[in-house]
Amino acid sequence: MSKWALPEYIADVLPPEARRIEKLRRLVQDRFRVHGYELTLPPLLEYVDSLFTGTGHDMELSTFKLVDQLTGRTMGLRADITPQVARIDAHLLNREGVTRLCYCGPVLHTLPAGLAATREPLQIGAEVYGHAGIEADIEIQSLLLEVLGQAGVTARLDLGHVGVFRALATAAGIGREAGERLFSLLQAKDVPAIGEATADLAEPVREALRRLPRLYGGPEVLAEARHALPDLPQIHAALDDLDVLSRSIKGAAISVDLAELRGYSYHSGVVFAAYADGVPNAIARGGRYDEVGRAFGRARAATGFSLDLRELARLSPEEPACEGILAPWSEDAALKRRIGQLRRDGEIVVIALPGHDKASWEPCCNRELRAAGGDWVVVPIN
Amino acid sequence: MITLALSKGRIFEETLPLLEALGIRVAEDPDKSRKLILETNLPDVRIIIVRASDVPTYVQYGAADVGVAGSDILREHEAGIGGAGLYRPLDLKIGRCRMMVAVPEAFDYETAVRRGARIRVATKFVSVAREHFAAKGMHVDLIKLYGAMELAPLTGLAEVIVDIVSTGATLKANRLRAVEEICAVSSRLIVNQASLKTKRPAVQTLIDAFAKAVT
Repeated sequence: MSKWALPEYIADVLPPEARRIEKLRRLVQDRFRVHGYELTLPPLLEYVDSLFTGTGHDMELSTFKLVDQLTGRTMGLRADITPQVARIDAHLLNREGVTRLCYCGPVLHTLPAGLAATREPLQIGAEVYGHAGIEADIEIQSLLLEVLGQAGVTARLDLGHVGVFRALATAAGIGREAGERLFSLLQAKDVPAIGEATADLAEPVREALRRLPRLYGGPEVLAEARHALPDLPQIHAALDDLDVLSRSIKGAAISVDLAELRGYSYHSGVVFAAYADGVPNAIARGGRYDEVGRAFGRARAATGFSLDLRELARLSPEEPACEGILAPWSEDAALKRRIGQLRRDGEIVVIALPGHDKASWEPCCNRELRAAGGDWVVVPIN
Repeated sequence: MITLALSKGRIFEETLPLLEALGIRVAEDPDKSRKLILETNLPDVRIIIVRASDVPTYVQYGAADVGVAGSDILREHEAGIGGAGLYRPLDLKIGRCRMMVAVPEAFDYETAVRRGARIRVATKFVSVAREHFAAKGMHVDLIKLYGAMELAPLTGLAEVIVDIVSTGATLKANRLRAVEEICAVSSRLIVNQASLKTKRPAVQTLIDAFAKAVT
């Protein structure tokens, strides 16, 4: 094997792609900033004890682990930044009221999420803490759509609500293990297996759980769900939430899927995912996880979203190649002033170091600085 | 455009009548044609012919929107890398058979299990077999084969096989007996998650029509 071969599902990012990713990162973080989200930079690795707090078994399997030589304790390379940010909000900032935080950084997965996925996504996301009301969900979903719109990606938003399943599971007295199994069958809309798994349950919960995988479609599904599902206050509240969201969120086609569940031990309310035409998986995911902070000493209402910038960069429109200006290497003061001026204006000015053929600069420059009558002017390269 | 992934042979033959009930007629016979993409009488529905074990992969990565795959193959697929993430809304009740543990007639399986002996198992369904014997608390060495499983115990390659059994005739002809059923197998309709979100009207029509044709 060649010495320079990289591990499977790990890749270098080369200049054209890196340029797009970096442009998107700035653009997205700018959107976060103008909405008042404060940037945090959690560490790449920490003790697994804190990494796995409140996140469940899946996270343990997807985290690379190593031993800390200072303490002998096991550390993990983060597989998701969201729990780290929840820890920062609950434990370190410890503010009253609403806190808005955002983050961007690489995460590592022991196994790729799919055959086409990377094991090192560049996760970027935003979270609102301290507000349990639907307004925070509206804000976070609108922010996601704004970000996708700015990136030039047309997306549709699919809404779900973990509360519907939880209400049914509680009503039927379904335990944790059976609950987790049913949860994963619902995620796969495995109607035949759900039929078998619910055979011993009493009505009306049995029929409701069997209907759940078919309750998806446009917002009209919510009215259908009100008829089809049992008369439980938590179900009404969940459907009311989805009703408000489907009317308040503008700028994307909205669909509803009441079997769209994620994070059995993590999410607690509204969940959502953004899909784009021609992409075989969701491009962004998010939702409510009000209970995670409790594990860090303070239960906090929380909702947010995250996405992989590398994948978003593949979807957003092609960037033009680098449009720099080539300048000769010279001690000329007028030239230096002119170059400084152009760079302050945001132009790329590349100094042609002496002794290289002009053609070798062409990939990054389409113009050059040329002396004309005691001044320096920008002209196209020919 | 909706792409439906099918495998040649039994699944294709048993799916054809279901498709006809939906008003979808395939323009060519895959046994005679060498084409791998088959047009239908509907301009926006096409069928791709892939290996049975590849159907879940094509659907999961969006190369096909919908597919028909045996539940045996789906279980094996889900145990693999990135295997979760398919919708499985419908049992088509075709391609029915059972996944069984089988041994040579002379082999005392029950005693071997009781004694906790380590046994060699030949199978195409490595993940399913691993899960089954682990649940029973048995130590096994798995030998992956791609076909003619019945040969393994006859030639001393393994003591036990895990394989699909429909009539039991092949087992009988090779002097093997089935000792345990692991699960019943039938073909499932599988759907790409994003296709159901982004092409819902067309995909939903297909799912509904299949559901109607099955019951």
